[in-house]
Amino acid sequence: MKCGLALLAALPVLAVSPADTYRTTVQPVLAARCYGCHNDKLRTAGLSLESAALTQAGVWEKVADQLSARRMPPAGLPAPTAAEVLAVTAWVRTLPGVTNQLPNPGRVTARRLNRTEYNNTVRDLLGIYGHPANDFPVDDAGFGFDNNGDVLTLSPMLMEKYLASAERLSRLAVFGPTLPKQPGLLASLMPKKGPDAALRPSSSGTTTPYSIRGAMYANFVFPVDAEYEIRVRVINHRDQLSINYTGPREELLASLDAARKGAPTRTKKGDSRTAFPPEKLLLTLDGKPILEDVIEGDTDYLYDRGAFVARVPVKAGEHFIRASFPALADYDDPRRNINPDFRRRMFVEFAEIAGPYNPSPEPPESYRKIFVCGHKPGQHNAECTGKVLQNFALRAYRRPLGTAEMDRLAGLVDLARRQGDSFEEGIRLAMEAVLASPGFLFRTELDPVPSAHAIDDFELASRLSYFLWSTMPDEELFRLALARKLRQPGVLEAQTRRMLADSKAQALTDNFAGQWLGIQHIERKSPDPDRFPAVDEELLEAMHQESNLFVSEMIRQDHSILDFIDAPFTWLNGPLAMHYGIPGVKGEAFRRVVLDGSQRSGILTQASVLTVSAFPTRTSVVTRGKWVLENLLGTPPPPPPPDVPSLVESSIGSDASLRTKMEQHRNNPSCMSCHVAMDPIGFGLENYDASGAWRILDGKFPIDASGTLPGGKAFDGAAGLKQVLKSNADLFSRNLTEKLMTFALGRGVESYDRSTVESIATDLAAHGYRFSRLVLDIVKSDAFQQRGADGGVKP
Amino acid sequence: MTPKNLDRRMFLRGAGTVLALPFLDAMIPAFSRAAASAAPLRMAFVYVPNGIIMEQWWPALTASGPLPAELPRITAPLAAYRNDLQLLGGLTCNGGRALGDGPGDHGRAGASYLTATHPKKAVKDIHTGISVDQIAAQQIGGATRFASLEMGCEDGVMGGNCDNGYSCAYSNSLSWRTSSSPMPPEVRPRAMFDRLFGGDFDPDPVRRARAQKYRASVLDVILSDAQRLKNSLGRADQAKLDEYLFSVRDIEQRIQKTEKEYENRGEVSMLVPAPSVPDTMTEHSRLMFDLLTMAFQTNATRVATLALALEQSTRPYREAGVPEGHHGLTHHMGDTEKIEKVARINRFHVDCFMYLLDKMKAVREGDGTLLDHSMIVYGSGISNGNEHHHHNLPVVLAGRGNGTLTPGRYVQYPKETPMANLFVAMLQRMGASADHMGDSTGELTNL
Repeated sequence: MKCGLALLAALPVLAVSPADTYRTTVQPVLAARCYGCHNDKLRTAGLSLESAALTQAGVWEKVADQLSARRMPPAGLPAPTAAEVLAVTAWVRTLPGVTNQLPNPGRVTARRLNRTEYNNTVRDLLGIYGHPANDFPVDDAGFGFDNNGDVLTLSPMLMEKYLASAERLSRLAVFGPTLPKQPGLLASLMPKKGPDAALRPSSSGTTTPYSIRGAMYANFVFPVDAEYEIRVRVINHRDQLSINYTGPREELLASLDAARKGAPTRTKKGDSRTAFPPEKLLLTLDGKPILEDVIEGDTDYLYDRGAFVARVPVKAGEHFIRASFPALADYDDPRRNINPDFRRRMFVEFAEIAGPYNPSPEPPESYRKIFVCGHKPGQHNAECTGKVLQNFALRAYRRPLGTAEMDRLAGLVDLARRQGDSFEEGIRLAMEAVLASPGFLFRTELDPVPSAHAIDDFELASRLSYFLWSTMPDEELFRLALARKLRQPGVLEAQTRRMLADSKAQALTDNFAGQWLGIQHIERKSPDPDRFPAVDEELLEAMHQESNLFVSEMIRQDHSILDFIDAPFTWLNGPLAMHYGIPGVKGEAFRRVVLDGSQRSGILTQASVLTVSAFPTRTSVVTRGKWVLENLLGTPPPPPPPDVPSLVESSIGSDASLRTKMEQHRNNPSCMSCHVAMDPIGFGLENYDASGAWRILDGKFPIDASGTLPGGKAFDGAAGLKQVLKSNADLFSRNLTEKLMTFALGRGVESYDRSTVESIATDLAAHGYRFSRLVLDIVKSDAFQQRGADGGVKP
Repeated sequence: MTPKNLDRRMFLRGAGTVLALPFLDAMIPAFSRAAASAAPLRMAFVYVPNGIIMEQWWPALTASGPLPAELPRITAPLAAYRNDLQLLGGLTCNGGRALGDGPGDHGRAGASYLTATHPKKAVKDIHTGISVDQIAAQQIGGATRFASLEMGCEDGVMGGNCDNGYSCAYSNSLSWRTSSSPMPPEVRPRAMFDRLFGGDFDPDPVRRARAQKYRASVLDVILSDAQRLKNSLGRADQAKLDEYLFSVRDIEQRIQKTEKEYENRGEVSMLVPAPSVPDTMTEHSRLMFDLLTMAFQTNATRVATLALALEQSTRPYREAGVPEGHHGLTHHMGDTEKIEKVARINRFHVDCFMYLLDKMKAVREGDGTLLDHSMIVYGSGISNGNEHHHHNLPVVLAGRGNGTLTPGRYVQYPKETPMANLFVAMLQRMGASADHMGDSTGELTNL
């Protein structure tokens, strides 16, 4: 923006007419870079620049916009130099009729807390971990992210849920969970019994993902600090000897295949069951072992023996439980755990959680967060009302409470007292109102003046915390906001760095990167079990986990953002390393792995991305090409024509490779123009199947992963593709800047943001593309710090 | 203890609902007092996405006439109920067409199907019409606890641009309360159950009155907070607060009805559904259809929408022998193998729908069945999915509409008859005064 103003001021000095400048400096650029498509003959996208009149201000504004955003010429075609872009954009600004783009920080529409933000905010406000918003309807998203104020709507059904949730949460926070008088069964976790739902148990209980290796895992919210019993029952079907499980993998699969065709043969009863070695069972809580035992070789159902039981003290809140057979993680193929009748040889049938035993007499964390006047339960006095409500409402509304608001809340406390209820019940009622009020549910920003202005410190604290943490500000941010110190020199940067280092910054990985890269869609993906029999839900989860750990390291270790494209490390566990064919990584736990880069490096070759950009049954070069253009380069291809012809699916891999098929398809001229940009990128990734595994054959045809991008740039395979992407670092960083800004601001990036994006991208390049630099640049931008005038620029 | 034993202990006592029987299938018919007198008329819309293999949909008839006992493969199961339903041919949803807006037929199909309006191509400032169910809800919804229910078997898609520049909101919700306020569906059977029947009713009238008073006071406080906040905000923010204010007032009214309903409660039994969403559509849709039937039975609502899946759904149907994603297959370009797979999905959806008909027909109500007292539309906003046609849509109209419908027929309407004309006819039967909606040109006759 400042740069733009400087130019505007400088231009009259030049005293050259726009027509002259056009001839001398602009037209040559257009002729070299644009006329190839936008000429009188082709009129691509209905536009010819050859004959556009200088009076068509709208057309030229758009040209300037497209060029400075580096959206045109399309990726792959020779790009104009920075000087060339500047020559055109500066000239456009001198044209009569071109809107003088005054600095405009933009205006964010009031944002309703989305489901993630609601869960996190309730966790931090009340110390309640139950994910209450998971039962709310899915939030609509705008510009790729679900925190966009314009599209976050509120239906009566959602309001109903907000009210019910407000009542339940206030009750939980003040009185704690209602527990049975005697410790009892709290939950039953039932792992699915097969890749297909038809095989899952029809009775109720919480179902957990399907694991070929027979494991079971789930998050569980423990209600109070207490001891709990976790009971696990195991099924042991290792009594079918028709398959030699210790032999080579090929033989195993061949015999499984034979069993599929004929009736499975069972061995004679009692036949050498003891031959099976004892197998270790491991039960962990948050990764720490709480029970180890062995499954003997001479039992089968274990019904007579009952469940394995671990009794452990657990803190209230959410914890991760996992029961598994660790040795199975190192199988060269998980199907070694499959019998000829397709039941797993060993698996966790269910886990139960019972308790609470000897619950802690201390009031819950939430009680301490609310009753801040320092009295013991039941001993509060009337003076506490103001103190308690002020403290709670400030944190819930993320700003100080007005007098009228305070009076209305205090009125609810009085009402309860008049009805003969306790002080605590009165506070609870006021809390219920706070949690259902728009001050809590919406993040609104006020307009003390009608023109553009700096948002206040509380609003800034909220923008920061919802950007980096997807939750409310913490005590330190509130303290700084209250003292109006957030904007003092150095404070904002120090706070941003502190927040990035905090564990809550995991939200940036989950919510920003999850949506930017689409990896959160892995939850909805299910590669066809017939074609990908070794891919179970546990492996899909591991793929997600790999990308999460990778992105987290990018953020935590402050890598160059270019490492997203190509980085010599990742995070793997045994099963995922097996899927990748990377030797030497054993066991169930994830660890950092150094890569040689030949097959894997960077986000593009992670199974999560390769799976979300494929169909359930096969790869899609188009989807993958589009994924790269859209998510990495920010240059999405135009939509396909309405009568798009498609491929004859069944013959792929049998009478021709996918590549040959695609090339036939592409010869259709109406498809050619776009596919020429998408397909080569997708072909470059053809060495990865629809579950992200490495392959050198597509059916019976060898993979040819070479490609030539429009403009003649040739490459071979993923490694070559990454070199091409890295040579477009400018495009990539500009795109990531726009995506992160969209997420940070909760609104789309508009044309008036162009110069902000521009200057951030330039600054980023000058600072080694550090991720933290990008975050800081956004935080320090006017777009983040200010709020535009009402009725200002609206599309 | 086995998990099954646990389930039997999980029965809850809910609003007008005693939950006692162990199995869904053993649900006891309701004896709601409303049903004893003239049964109220109910209306529901069941949606399937991505079009139908139309060659296997229509009966072998060239003109209107009685439904034959033999129907083509996709509609074949409907033959069993041919005296309770009719197939309507020739209806068009013009709003789903491009009309100069280019690609995006799926987004448009979802957003125009019940609104009969051409939606604005946008990812941000979305705009379409008010849907038929919401017109009914706004006019006659006051008679029941829920003005309408929105249900589904597929969660909405996150991400801003679902179909060539159309917001995901367009395909995520069939139901629109205003032109810019979608009513997203509930897809979790357990949450739907809790919403319908899980309200905590204190049998003690004194305590109940106090809880009422508290709730009313909370609503007063938040309404007044919202009103003040709204006055201090700019235009776009005010619109957000308007949604909030509408929703809170809607709930305020509902609470008063709930109290009345408590006094007139009937008894219905149903097992509390498991917290997890079933991953077969068979099981999932059955639970949702059970809940829909129960909601109608207990007069919790008279208006409902239920999308078995969303437009452009890529869900595979392994339970129907189709491992590929649905949407991709529908662009089959004449490939017989793909056509076969799409037809299998289409048939599978009809099989799911049959369960609803079974349930509603099994509920005795006064002199007939719940199905007799209903109008259930089953169909899609796209006929030919390969080419994105929005004309001659597949439409099943099930039920007798309290004696106002003449089932048992295939009715062929003139080409390009707006779907909205059917909606107008239904609205009038519901007692809503609507001579016109969306692009309607009149009331559909000969029903």
